[in-house]
Amino acid sequence: MSMHKVLFPCALLLLTGFSTLQERPASKTHRVEIVQMKFSPSSLSVRPGDTVLFVNLDMVTHDVTEASGKSWKSPPLAAKGSWKKVAKTSASYYCSFHPVMKGTITVK
Amino acid sequence: MKRFEKFTMKTAALFLGVFAFGSTVLAQGNPTLSDAEVASAAVTANQIDIDFAAIAREKSKDTQVLEFARTMANDHQAVIDQAVALTEKLSVTPKDNAVSQQLKADAEKTKEQLRAKSGKAFDKAYIDNEVAYHTSVIAAVKDLLIPETENAELKDLLMSVVPALEAHLEHAKMIQQKMSKK
Repeated sequence: MSMHKVLFPCALLLLTGFSTLQERPASKTHRVEIVQMKFSPSSLSVRPGDTVLFVNLDMVTHDVTEASGKSWKSPPLAAKGSWKKVAKTSASYYCSFHPVMKGTITVK
Repeated sequence: MKRFEKFTMKTAALFLGVFAFGSTVLAQGNPTLSDAEVASAAVTANQIDIDFAAIAREKSKDTQVLEFARTMANDHQAVIDQAVALTEKLSVTPKDNAVSQQLKADAEKTKEQLRAKSGKAFDKAYIDNEVAYHTSVIAAVKDLLIPETENAELKDLLMSVVPALEAHLEHAKMIQQKMSKK
């Protein structure tokens, strides 16, 4: 097999792969502030692989707990504390210390 | 007519809330509080709910009551810490006053009533009291303490506490509702 017969498909693969990478938007970080006993924004749409950063701006401790309580949960976030999570699937969440505080992440 | 009834009920609840909190001062015909007295009343009101929580943690075996009590103790301690830090920054020494004294006297009676109960009767009495106490404190902070406060930072602190008190009230009502269905 001549060299160009091997190199050509490899080059094609590299080029198409490269263009696919270029078209895919880079993953983003979205900020959700916990302020005055609310998640803000309380509804967030993200792409798979995006990061959601939760920042507690209240004086009291909060957390971020997936609604079923079985999937994921942040550690307690004291005042000015933060926690981040890579979004893979859509989820509803709440603060386990203050269950009236609720939010959703929609992964599209 | 319905609007009038709603307004009257709201006014009555508000009056009762403020009255429960500052009855002695109002009865003396001198509702004026200095910032040092407002700070004292705010710290006292928070400490009282920490004391109620301590009784709950001693007496209750109900997980949701215990978790609620732990949150009350932590949150109200965080408010006290902020208030103390602010008064130190402002060189204000919280000053005992008729409102603080009335709050303490009323709380002693409530604590006695709570200590006399046990089991489910205690859990119900504690949560019912949390609903009543937070309703009263929210009205008093909004309609007595905030208007009486002159210093902008102290006023801001009191205003920032209101959403936490409202979340506590809603949480207590959620537990109250669950208990009534059991």
